[in-house]
Formats: sequence, structure tokens, C-alpha cells
Amino acid sequence: MPYFEDVQLGDEIGSLDTVAGDGEVAAFCQMWGNPMPNRFTDWEEAEKARLPGPIVPGIMSMAMMAQLVTRWAGPTALRDLDLVFRQPVPHNKPLQVSATVTDARQENGENLVECDIMLTSAQGDRYVGGKAVAALPSKPR
Amino acid sequence: MVMKLEYDRSLHEREYRAGPFEITEEMVQAFNRSIRETTPIFTDRAAAQAAGYRSIVAPPTLCTLLVRQVQLPGLDLKFGRMQFHAGQRVRPRAPIVAGDVLVALSRLKEVYPKTGRTGTMVFIVWETTFQNQDGVVVAEVQESYARRE
Repeated sequence: MPYFEDVQLGDEIGSLDTVAGDGEVAAFCQMWGNPMPNRFTDWEEAEKARLPGPIVPGIMSMAMMAQLVTRWAGPTALRDLDLVFRQPVPHNKPLQVSATVTDARQENGENLVECDIMLTSAQGDRYVGGKAVAALPSKPR
Repeated sequence: MVMKLEYDRSLHEREYRAGPFEITEEMVQAFNRSIRETTPIFTDRAAAQAAGYRSIVAPPTLCTLLVRQVQLPGLDLKFGRMQFHAGQRVRPRAPIVAGDVLVALSRLKEVYPKTGRTGTMVFIVWETTFQNQDGVVVAEVQESYARRE
């Protein structure tokens, strides 16, 4: 993981390439306790909700976006992840999570790095966007 | 002109509790599989224990799965017919470890209108705080819903 002192504004993080397959979304919904059928797993339910097809649940997209932060900054480094769901996220398509550092500050005894973070298609369509804050260690003296 | 929203404002004074929820190793592993998570302290008990944890650590957004277990009331909002999940915020405060037992406390944080290119929408924000068995706040979660006509 990087040291706080080595991070610069504008640094790019990622991308993390991922995909949410039908089976993974179904397993996620089962764990979540979402009543079946639902718009996340079923074509008819998705069409009733005027969606182009079954979509990835927002909190599953969030979990995938958090992975970029935890892989970069460490598994317990995430302090804030604040997301806006802009477009439905499709199943079985390549997805990319990426982030750009927008601020670095010390607050309440922690070294915090703030980033703009987004989940896009391989073609760059923005599905989910927002802000992430992670805590980083200082460089040893 | 300020839009006057009609809804049950007494909900701001109330809190809704749910739980206890035991965070099992099976739950954490199922979450890991669904997002292809491979980080050792999330997936491997020995690695987590070597890092000083009692058991595997839950990925930081796992508690979002539990928010809908809180039975929340309708707002009786006199605006719009279509509602959708507009946003989500998680602020992890302390690691959640398999074996922890959490309780959730939800409250209506805010209801506000916003006008953009596509017209006016009303945003409804619920905030849920999770505490573990030791009374430590481990995460705060906000769910935002947008309603439009």
C-alpha cells in the first residue's frame, strides 16, 4: 500500500476490471434476502421496472467499488464511500472501477486521501460515481 | 420558490431498531464469492488471525446487506409515483469480524427537493448506525431514494 507522503493530487488509482455474472448477482440477492423474482435476476421483473434487463444491485456495485480502495490502501483503510447511482449496471459485461486523488489531508490524527471514484463500462459509460476517503500510513522516519 | 413538501414529519423524531444480526463466517465468505474478493484477511481465517483479528474480517460494505432488515415506515409523501435507489453511503468506523453480533438503528435523516434538467425530484435519506456486541459503532450507512412524477 502507498504511504501518505507519496500520494499526489491527480494520481490515478486502478483500474480494477471486474464483472458481475448472473450467478453472482443471484447469490448476492439470496444472501441479501431480496424476494424472488426481482429486477436484479429476472427479465420480466426488470421489464416491469422499465429496465433494459436485470441489473446489478446498487449495494453490489458499491461492494465492487470498495474493492478498488481496499486493494490500493489496505483492507481496513476505507473511511467513507459516498455514491450516486447514475445508470443501471448490467450483468455479464466488463466493468471498470477507477479513481483519481482529489485531496490529501490530516484529520483527527489520520492521513486521509479523498478520491473521485467511478464504475464504468469498458467503453467508458459512467454507471456509478462518487467519492471515497481512505486512511494511509505515514512513511517510516 | 421554496417547495413545501407534505409528508409525515413526526418520523424525524423516531428510531427503528433491528437485530441482533450475527455476522457468520459463511455470510462473509458468500459475500466474498459474489464479488470475487480474494484479500487474505477477508477470506482466510489464519491470515486474519495472523493480522491480529479473532476471525475473518468482513469487507467494509457488508453491513449494507442488513439495512433492509430494518422495518421502515412509509413517509406518506405527497409527491411523485416512481421511486428509485439514488445513492448509498457507507462510513466504516471499526472492522466487523466474523462472530460479531450487530444491532441496527435507523432514522429518517432528511427529505429534500432538487430541481435539475429533468425536472424536480424529492430525495429521501435514511441513516442506519450499526453497533457491535461491545457497543462500538462499526459503521454508518445512508440510503438515498429519489421520487419523481
